[in-house]
Amino acid sequence: MIKTLLHVFRNTPKGREVLLQSLYFCKLTGVSIVIYIPEHPKFLMYFDNDAVQVDLDKTYLADPATAKQHAEDLAEKAGVFPKFIKPKNFTASTLPDIPVHFDFMCCPRIIASLSAKISPGHIGPKVRRIINTATFPVLMPVPQFKEWKSLVVFFGGSGIDVKELKLALSLKRATGFPLYIFTQAEKTPKDYFEDVLAKSGLDGEIKKNVKKWYFFSKGKFKHNLYNIPHDALCILGAYDKEFVKDLIWGSTVELVQKTLPNTLLIAGPHYIIPPG
Amino acid sequence: MKWFKFWRYPGKFDFYRSDDRLLLIQIGIVVGVLSGFASVGLTWSLSAMLDSFAPFRQLWWAFLIPALGLMLSSLFLEKIMNEGAGHGVTEVIYSVSKVGGLMRLRSCFSRLISSCLTIGSGGSAGPEAPVVMSGAAIGSNIARFFNLNERQRITLVGCGCAGAISAIFNAPLTGMIFSMEIILGEWSMVHIIPIAAASVAGAETCRFLEGNRIAFESSAFHITSYDMAACFGLALIAALASVMLTRMLRKMHHISVKIPVPFWLRAAIGGAIVGLIGFAVPDALGEGYHTIHAMIHGMYTAGLGVAAVACLTKIITTSLTLGWGGSGGVFAPCLVIGSFAGIAFQRLLLFAFPTVMWSGEGLFALLGMAGMMSGLLQAPLTGLFLIVEITGSYDVMVSLIIVSALSTAITHYFEPTSFYLKDLIDNGSLLRPGTDQRVLSDISIREVIETDCIAVLPDMLLKDFVEIVKKSARNFFPVEDQQTGRFLGIINLNKIRPYIFNTFLYDTVVVEEIMDSDPEVVFYDDELSDVLQEMDSKNYFSMPVISHARFIGMVSKATLLDKYRDELKAQTFHIV
Repeated sequence: MIKTLLHVFRNTPKGREVLLQSLYFCKLTGVSIVIYIPEHPKFLMYFDNDAVQVDLDKTYLADPATAKQHAEDLAEKAGVFPKFIKPKNFTASTLPDIPVHFDFMCCPRIIASLSAKISPGHIGPKVRRIINTATFPVLMPVPQFKEWKSLVVFFGGSGIDVKELKLALSLKRATGFPLYIFTQAEKTPKDYFEDVLAKSGLDGEIKKNVKKWYFFSKGKFKHNLYNIPHDALCILGAYDKEFVKDLIWGSTVELVQKTLPNTLLIAGPHYIIPPG
Repeated sequence: MKWFKFWRYPGKFDFYRSDDRLLLIQIGIVVGVLSGFASVGLTWSLSAMLDSFAPFRQLWWAFLIPALGLMLSSLFLEKIMNEGAGHGVTEVIYSVSKVGGLMRLRSCFSRLISSCLTIGSGGSAGPEAPVVMSGAAIGSNIARFFNLNERQRITLVGCGCAGAISAIFNAPLTGMIFSMEIILGEWSMVHIIPIAAASVAGAETCRFLEGNRIAFESSAFHITSYDMAACFGLALIAALASVMLTRMLRKMHHISVKIPVPFWLRAAIGGAIVGLIGFAVPDALGEGYHTIHAMIHGMYTAGLGVAAVACLTKIITTSLTLGWGGSGGVFAPCLVIGSFAGIAFQRLLLFAFPTVMWSGEGLFALLGMAGMMSGLLQAPLTGLFLIVEITGSYDVMVSLIIVSALSTAITHYFEPTSFYLKDLIDNGSLLRPGTDQRVLSDISIREVIETDCIAVLPDMLLKDFVEIVKKSARNFFPVEDQQTGRFLGIINLNKIRPYIFNTFLYDTVVVEEIMDSDPEVVFYDDELSDVLQEMDSKNYFSMPVISHARFIGMVSKATLLDKYRDELKAQTFHIV
């Protein structure tokens, strides 16, 4: 079954960098790209249990005459065959519905008209909501195109972490890149994490495929992030905790994206591992 | 914290597992109460706004009040709420029909504020559609909060609509019927009970806050056989008025979008024209409930000409208000137009048959309202029960049935679909439960795809191909480019039988020569209804599915119909 990545194209130099990142991901992993060139300043995504309205930055509507050609040129150079979607359904005449049956979606950290009001170190509320609701992981590229040559998966022993480990293993198989695990254990012994792996039946595969397990029982999480290779794609689960806990203690994913200049692949609490 | 999480999944409680109606009734009551609050809130805000503008209505610049109101209303919806304005009720039906009742949180209050600005400033629109939208969004978001499934969410959307209509008119029966007849489009026990509970909750909330009032209480009417006969003529007049309003609303919208000015200026222009018309015909402004009161109580003194002009003017001002960017519904204008049509018809009868003892003009006003509502909404039960409940006139039930039924039938002749549904039908977005379109829309190509086809290469010799045929259980063989994996064509075994049995060709013919290089294909995101139509029209039993120029699998009629049956069972098991 062909896997697809949804990319909302912005016809600007910054948008080009993001598309290059999507194309690079697709080329390495064998995923097909589906490109949406917005014609309206907003669109709706109806997930299983939520309707997320994305209010786009005005730059997403820039120079529509050249947008498709620019995207095609970039895809051709990358050797990826793009497909362009046009919305078939409209909730209101200026509010198209975008399908959600994709396997990945590329979102810059901020995809909203309020971008000017959100400090650069934060994930925009709409992107956060998409991660929280979607059944697919969100590729969050760095602002400037940067190739990644290894994979790092953040493993904290929870249910979503097991799912993201499976995702990381499938990406490892597709790309052939070295895979690392990063664990900030605090006081939890390593046996606990190994037990989780054994229960999920992943211990054998992990031993075979993981190059190194960065296991930290000391030091601050933020400081330990320095060990992550600068050219790694970081795979992590997000918002698995209660909203209130995130609010009080802060979200791990927010801290990671604020600290690391790497491209991230974030799986939310509703992420479903696609069959095959 | 775990306790909180537990309560957000009430559908998993053992108590509700065998029958979730009890759960839906409880949540439905909450939705009904909240919709009732929304409704009363809007009524009070509108009343305050109308009172505050009343002293300025006679001033020369009063036409600017609706202009300002419509402009602010459109700016609020587009710039502050980012709503992408559409007609409220249509959006609710779309949500139920197409996206499992999902609605945005902002819709709980956005239309309430925008319609308050529109109607409070004098725009000709009604507060019912915004309240329906608000109630539906409340139901949808409560369902989302409690992680209910799609069917339960749709029921709660229906509960919200019922609670809203029930509260704004103090008409619980109408709320319930409106929800089933117009919003959900199905009458199943699983919906009726929670919706009835929500409807009662909405009405009781309104009664608690505003008292148990009947919106347009009328006196008893003595109906003669002449009046009964006149019902037929009145049904025709009401039907024509509803056809005119439907077409005018659409026309105005098409005209307004062609005017090359910003949307807020367009709304302001529309509002200013409405304001100017209001100088000549003040009854054409606002929601017009005071005019209905006057007509039902026989205090409307104008003659045939004035009533007919007022009827036409109200149609124009409503179309201008809603078509040019204002926010609101057509319920209230419909009632006003219907009552004007009724009065005009009564005056005409008096003129034509001066010796006949006709019943009071109030009767004709309320029959006109029922005819107009039933015609425009093509929902005779909603029109009928609304008039009965808001006027308390149970003695005119028979006349109301005649007018409602006839008006619906006549309107249907000119406009086959109701005002709310026309856009949805045109876009193929109206998928009523249990219909062929709805069942097919819930099945995706991914679910019916068959991936056990063996791909072959274009330069393969027929001899080698025959060996592959022996191993395969299928009749179709996709041909793919060796380098790129691109789909080049397909071999249908039925079409190449002569070659297969001719052994002389085994070493001379390659696959490329016998393949169909331009077959009809299906794409991943195609609608299954279109695929099935294509298969029917061209007599195909299978078609290849392509994505990104690569072969994915086959979709066959047999698998599709198997899945169709499963889906139909799943969708209709709750219909008792």
